[in-house]
Amino acid sequence: MPVLTDLAALANAERADLPPARVLSRGRRRWRRALGVVVPLLLLGGWALASGLVWISPGLLPAPWTVAEAGRDFFFGERRTTLAGVVAFDGAGWGHVGASIFRCLVSFSLAVVVGISVGLALGLSRWVADFFDPVLNALRAVPLYAWLPISLVWFGIGEGAARALIFIGALWPVLIATADSVARVPRAHIETARMLGTPRQRLWRRVYVPSALPEIVTGLRLSLTLAWMCVIVGELTGTSTGVGAMMNAARETGRIEEIVVGMFVFAVVGYGADLVLRMLTRRWVRWADT
Amino acid sequence: MQLSSLRAIGISKSFGAVAVLDRVDLAVHPGETYALLGPSGCGKSTLLRVMAGFETADEGRVELAGRVVRRPSPERGMVAQAGTLFPWLSLRDNLAFGPRESGRGDTEEIVAGLLEATGLTEFADALPRQLSGGMRQRAAIAQVLANAPPVLLLDEPFGALDAQTRLRMHEWLRSVLAARETTTLLVTHDVDEALLLADRLGLLSARPARLVEEIPVPFGGARGRHTLSDPAFVRMKAQILDRVMVA
Repeated sequence: MPVLTDLAALANAERADLPPARVLSRGRRRWRRALGVVVPLLLLGGWALASGLVWISPGLLPAPWTVAEAGRDFFFGERRTTLAGVVAFDGAGWGHVGASIFRCLVSFSLAVVVGISVGLALGLSRWVADFFDPVLNALRAVPLYAWLPISLVWFGIGEGAARALIFIGALWPVLIATADSVARVPRAHIETARMLGTPRQRLWRRVYVPSALPEIVTGLRLSLTLAWMCVIVGELTGTSTGVGAMMNAARETGRIEEIVVGMFVFAVVGYGADLVLRMLTRRWVRWADT
Repeated sequence: MQLSSLRAIGISKSFGAVAVLDRVDLAVHPGETYALLGPSGCGKSTLLRVMAGFETADEGRVELAGRVVRRPSPERGMVAQAGTLFPWLSLRDNLAFGPRESGRGDTEEIVAGLLEATGLTEFADALPRQLSGGMRQRAAIAQVLANAPPVLLLDEPFGALDAQTRLRMHEWLRSVLAARETTTLLVTHDVDEALLLADRLGLLSARPARLVEEIPVPFGGARGRHTLSDPAFVRMKAQILDRVMVA
């Protein structure tokens, strides 16, 4: 297509109007990352000081070094044979963490599939939303613990009930984020796609999902965090493996340092899972960065 | 590309109790650029949206080359003031959107040609938010032109740009329209823009809008920033402003 305008001159004139690129230098990026370590170190220091000066009773919160020893035993201690149904601790760390992660991932994956599908249906059709919104909002208000007895009745003690509870906990954020963000896709995007030739039945894939992705990803992150938090509830249903099961066993025998080890494991794995999810989805939401 | 005429025949449109358009008749000749002027809020954009198929007329019809058209389609490409680029796609993918939807095998060549024609080749992989306002609007027009529509509908496409950039964009668009001979309907409140780009002007009355007058633009092909100081241009601009104010 020949054009008469001096495009080079036009582009040069426009360069001054380009939005400034907000790129941090490598040094500043490292410095800002390092800031995130400061608060945990301060908390750890305060905890060590309070334990060393016996400001806190070891019966309420053991010293950091006691917890560290328990953590070492949990992951690297000698594995002892336990009776069936008894939750192992020494040397059983990797097995418990693996069981919890697997349980969480299975339920989270199912929650993502169901949440995004139902969320899309609710967001794309006002009729479907009007029909199901009251029921879904009412179900969403039922606390997770209220699902515990019925899960045990429906799925029995153990794995099935645990997975069901994690699924219920993880479902709502992704479902609501999908429904809300799809319903709020700017009309201009839909009109543009229609005008450029996208048939109605393909709009969800070409416009609705990509436009809603940043909020769906936020919903995924919340769902993953909740799924991980619900693992402990799920593992109260009588499973003999999993970090939650270990913590429940430690509570019954009063071994507080093992409970704190479990809390650390939850925090570290949860944080790591969120980092991985953010890394995996960064490409999809790059456009929405400010 | 076959040149096509675009007609609005007896278009009326109301939103609830508010009558916006009242039996508007309008004909844009094949290859012509026609600018619609009128008081603010008179219904210019509504008329354009009806012509694009985004709104349904209560009465009347829109014809493209003698055929009645109702729904949005790639043969009537519309660009709005806010731009129509998809923010999640790179510039290259935005331009390729239309050709890919129609399954064209020469998408790469079309996109490369449009990037060159808009002077945006080096920004092909940039996201829309990384472009300046003028670049974004050129890209939005190129996105629509990628489908080679016989009709282009422009709704104050440069309204959000500063005066200097707008003038550069007028010169660029004029050269593009001259090269492609696309039938173009332009809605604007800027009389300079209308006189620099259009072959003919239509004046709409206040709401409910009716077409009250059509005025041919006598300045020929070579229009640009120099035209703005032409005494005939200045005189005509004053006359049109007077008519818009009393419309």
